[in-house]
Amino acid sequence: MRMKIGIHGLTSCYGCQLKMACIEEILEVAKNFEIVYWNMASSKGEIEKVDIAFVEGSVVTERDEEELKLIRENADALVAVGSCAIHGGVQGMIFGEDYEEIFREVYGDSLIDYEAKIGEPLRKYVEVDYCLPGCPPEEHEILYYLATFGIGSYPEEKDYPVCAECRRQGYPCILIEKGMPCLGPVTVAGCNAKCPGFNVACIGCRGPVPHGTAWFDSLARTFKEKGMSKEYIKRRMEIFGKQYEKLDEMIEKVFENED
Amino acid sequence: MKIEREIRNDHIARIEGKAGITVEIGDEIRARINVTEGPRFFEVITKGKHYDEAAAICSRICSFCSIPHKLTPIEAIENALNIEVSEQIKMLRQVLYFGNMVESHALHLYLFVLPDYLGYPDAFSMAEKYPEIMKHGLKLKNFGAMVQEILGGREIHPENAIVGGFGKLPEQKKMKKIYDMAEEAINSAIATVDFFTEYEYPHYVNLARNHLSIKPYEGYGVYGNEIISSDGFSFGIEKYKENIVEEVVPYSFAKRGKYNNEPFMVGALSRLVNNAKLLDGKAKELLSSYSNFLKEDNCFANNFAQAIELVYFIERIAEMAERARIGKQEAIEPEERNGRGYAVTEAPRGLLIYEVDVEDGIVKYMNVITPTAMFLPMMEIDALNMAKGMWEDGYKDVDLIGNKVEMTVRAYDPCISCSVHVIKL
Repeated sequence: MRMKIGIHGLTSCYGCQLKMACIEEILEVAKNFEIVYWNMASSKGEIEKVDIAFVEGSVVTERDEEELKLIRENADALVAVGSCAIHGGVQGMIFGEDYEEIFREVYGDSLIDYEAKIGEPLRKYVEVDYCLPGCPPEEHEILYYLATFGIGSYPEEKDYPVCAECRRQGYPCILIEKGMPCLGPVTVAGCNAKCPGFNVACIGCRGPVPHGTAWFDSLARTFKEKGMSKEYIKRRMEIFGKQYEKLDEMIEKVFENED
Repeated sequence: MKIEREIRNDHIARIEGKAGITVEIGDEIRARINVTEGPRFFEVITKGKHYDEAAAICSRICSFCSIPHKLTPIEAIENALNIEVSEQIKMLRQVLYFGNMVESHALHLYLFVLPDYLGYPDAFSMAEKYPEIMKHGLKLKNFGAMVQEILGGREIHPENAIVGGFGKLPEQKKMKKIYDMAEEAINSAIATVDFFTEYEYPHYVNLARNHLSIKPYEGYGVYGNEIISSDGFSFGIEKYKENIVEEVVPYSFAKRGKYNNEPFMVGALSRLVNNAKLLDGKAKELLSSYSNFLKEDNCFANNFAQAIELVYFIERIAEMAERARIGKQEAIEPEERNGRGYAVTEAPRGLLIYEVDVEDGIVKYMNVITPTAMFLPMMEIDALNMAKGMWEDGYKDVDLIGNKVEMTVRAYDPCISCSVHVIKL
C-alpha cells in the first residue's frame, strides 16, 4: 500500500510547495505516494488521515491556526517544511513588536473581517516531528525525506553549518578573504554552500544551525576580527531566525570574551 | 437581500496562495474574492535593512515570481544610488527574467489551467491520460528552471542576482547549454499555443476594460520606465501614485488597485493588447495566424496570450544566449549611499512597481504594488459576470457555475502571496 501524504501551505511565498512541484521527475515520484491533499496542485481532496503531512508557511491568521491543528490531528507525522514553518520566516522577524501599530501603518484605520498576527513557527502551536529546512529546501533534500519515509525509515536532520559544505566544495572563504558578512558558520547546511559559491554572502535563509552548535571556535569568531558587531550579526541572523529560541545564546557564544 | 443560493469556496485550488470566492444569488447577484492569506508586512520588515538584505527579503514575497521580486527592487535601488550596469549585465538579467516568465507561464498553464480544460482535478491524474501534453509542460518548466538556476543560482529566490550585477557570471558553456535546450522548448511552446486555440472563450465575461503595461525599453521586453494604458494615456513610473490608487475592503488582506477610479487589467493579455506590434519571430507569426484569439475584452484570452509569450521569450532567450560573450565583471559597488528610486517591470502576471528610499545604504522606505493587487477588482467583476450570465441563462447547477467562476479566477493567474505582501500607500 502506498504511503498517504498531505501537502499544505500556511502563510508563505509558496516556494516550498513550488519546489516540490518542480522536482524534475515529479510525476514519477508522485506515483510512489497517495497524495491525499495538495490544494495548490489539485481541486480534489480534504484534510483527512495521512501518514505524513508536509506543512510550509507560518501561522499568521486564525485560519492558519485552525488548519494546522486539523492537519496535526490527522497526521501520524508532521514535517515543518522551510524557514517559515521552522522559524517563522522573514515575516516572523518583527515578532515581539506592536502588532496593532504595524497593522495601522499598513492598512490605516480600515476594518478587515479576519484576524491576523505576526508570523510564528508551527512548533508554537503543535508538535512538530521533523524539520526540512531551506528557503526553499533543495530538490535532493525533499527527495531524501520522501524516500526515507517511503521505505519506512526516517530522515536524519543536519546539525552542521553551511561552512562544512563550503569547504567540501573547495570554495574560497569569502568571510576570511573578502570580509563579506557570510552567515555560513551559523546557518544549517543542505544547500551545498550555493551562495558562497556565487561570491554572495550567506544571508542565513535556511535558519540557524540546530542544537546551538556552530563553528564557534573558528569561523564564527572571524565576525569579530572582521569588525562585524554582535548587533549587526544578530540583526542579520534575525532575518530568518528571529524566533529560534537559542539565537541569543548562540550569538553570546560567538562573541564571548568580547572586549 | 434574501439569498436564494450561495456558491462558496473558501480555498480555491490550483492558484498560488489562499483566496476564496463567494457568489450570492438573490434579487441581484453578488461576488466577492476573499483574500484570506495572512499579511506579511514587507514594507515594515525591509525597513532598516541594508539594501542587499532588503532585496533578498523582497524575493520572499512570492516564489512563482521571486525573480521579478528580486530584479525589480534591485532596479529601484540602482536607480536610487545612480548605478548604471553594463550592457552585458542588462542582457543577462533579461535572460534570467525571461526564464522566470517561461517557468511561471508553463506552471500556470499546465499545472493550474489545463486540468480544467481536460476535466481533471489535477495535472497528476491528467498526465495518466494525456502524457504527451504533460511532457510539453514539463519540458517548458524545466527549461525555465534551468535558465534561472544558471543565472540566478537557483530557480526560487535567486541569490546570485545582486545590486550592481551578479555574484558570479555564468560560464560561456552554460550559455551554450541554454541555447541548445531552447530549441526543444520552442516546439513545446508552439504546441501550447495550438492547444489554447482549440477552445472558445465563454462570452459571459466579455467586457470592455483598460489594459496597463509598460512601454519596453527594447523589443517586447520586461524593463521600462513608462506605463501605458490601452486608453492611449501614459505616465512615467515616478507618477504611479497619482494614477494607480489602492483601496482596502473588509474581506481582503490584499489591497486593490484602481486606475482612474476604474478596475483594470494587467498581465500577458494586457501586454499583447498594448505591445503586440513589438513581437517578432515565430511568436509574431503565430499571433497573426490566430489573431481572432486575441480578444481584449475577455480575460480567458490571457491563457492564449501566455502561450504566445512562451514562444517569444524562449526565442529571445536563445538569441541572447547565442550572442552572449561572457567576460569577467564584478558587481558594481555604488559610490552614492542615498537616494530615492523607482522601478517598474513586467512580471509574469503584469506590472510590478517598486519605490525605495535609501539613506546611508539602509532602506528607509519601500513600497511595492503587485500585479495581483492591481487586477483583483477586475477579476472580481469577471467572476461576477460569469456567475450572473450563467444563472440568467438558465444554468441552475451551482457546482457547474462555481467551477466556471473558478476558471475565470484562474485565467488571471492570481498570485495571492504577492497581493498580501501588504505595502502602504
